[in-house]
Amino acid sequence: MRNFRRVIRILLFLVVGLFLHYVMPQQDVARITSTEIIRTDFGGLQRLFYAQADSGQVDGITRDLRLINTERKATYFFSLIRGGNETMVYRNEDTGWIYPPYFKFDSSDLQAEAAASISTAQPYNWVVVTHYGWRIRWASIYPNAVAIRPIVVPEGANPEDYRPFPWVNLIIFVLMIVGSLFIRAMWMQFRERTLDPLADKAGDQLDHVNADLAERRGRIRRWLDTWKSK
Amino acid sequence: MQFVRLVVGGFAILAVIYVCVSLYSRSVRREKLEGWWDEAPQEGMTREEYIAEGMAKYESGLRKKLILLIFVIPPIVVGTIIYFIN
Repeated sequence: MRNFRRVIRILLFLVVGLFLHYVMPQQDVARITSTEIIRTDFGGLQRLFYAQADSGQVDGITRDLRLINTERKATYFFSLIRGGNETMVYRNEDTGWIYPPYFKFDSSDLQAEAAASISTAQPYNWVVVTHYGWRIRWASIYPNAVAIRPIVVPEGANPEDYRPFPWVNLIIFVLMIVGSLFIRAMWMQFRERTLDPLADKAGDQLDHVNADLAERRGRIRRWLDTWKSK
Repeated sequence: MQFVRLVVGGFAILAVIYVCVSLYSRSVRREKLEGWWDEAPQEGMTREEYIAEGMAKYESGLRKKLILLIFVIPPIVVGTIIYFIN
């Protein structure tokens, strides 16, 4: 039973962790090499990892997908360790009003910004690409770029070495911890003030019933005992 | 259409949170009043009267109205996100 619980707990932890890893914003230091638009027909599994058509439009079977091709600084282990350069392709889609709650409606503008910061000759123009999502190559799934911003570094510093700090993630995590503590406090209060008194009452009643039963049984036993030979 | 879903669904979720938080806040207040009475009982009134009076004060107080912020803050947050993302 304890092992079963442990497995459930680990699975829950994994699912929540993966979901957060998918949905939370991440920042890459990247150099945009080109932008393009490809026509896509979404498959069943893919559909999960794509947004809907641009907000205000109707979702058809097939549509164009904006892509931003980049070369970025590879990062591992929550951006703590940095590797060499690698290619990365971002999609650029409206998230719309519901999920994930980025409320992004300006894909066209972002595409224009991306095109404006294309950099193929040295010195390279490195930018920070904020995105969420995963690149899954065997299913043709791309992370969704949310914003592009120029890198501001002090004079003499190399923009390639710039490490963006995940402020937004920090705030969200703090809020989530505070929220879960609050829910815990609410639950404890509910248990202490509402559930426990109810349980006490029920237990009381059960005691009464048991006592009653014991008494009755006692009476029958005494009556039976009268038949015993003395 | 998505916008309507956000507004209706969001309002429903916030309403549930509002009910839970206001029940919680009321319960905490009652517990505090009980504690205060048990520490220093006042003369001229019973425990029930004291708690009833305190709860009446709570019902018309500022703290209860502050819980209404639950309906105010999320739309502001959404508006800020929209402003900064787009």
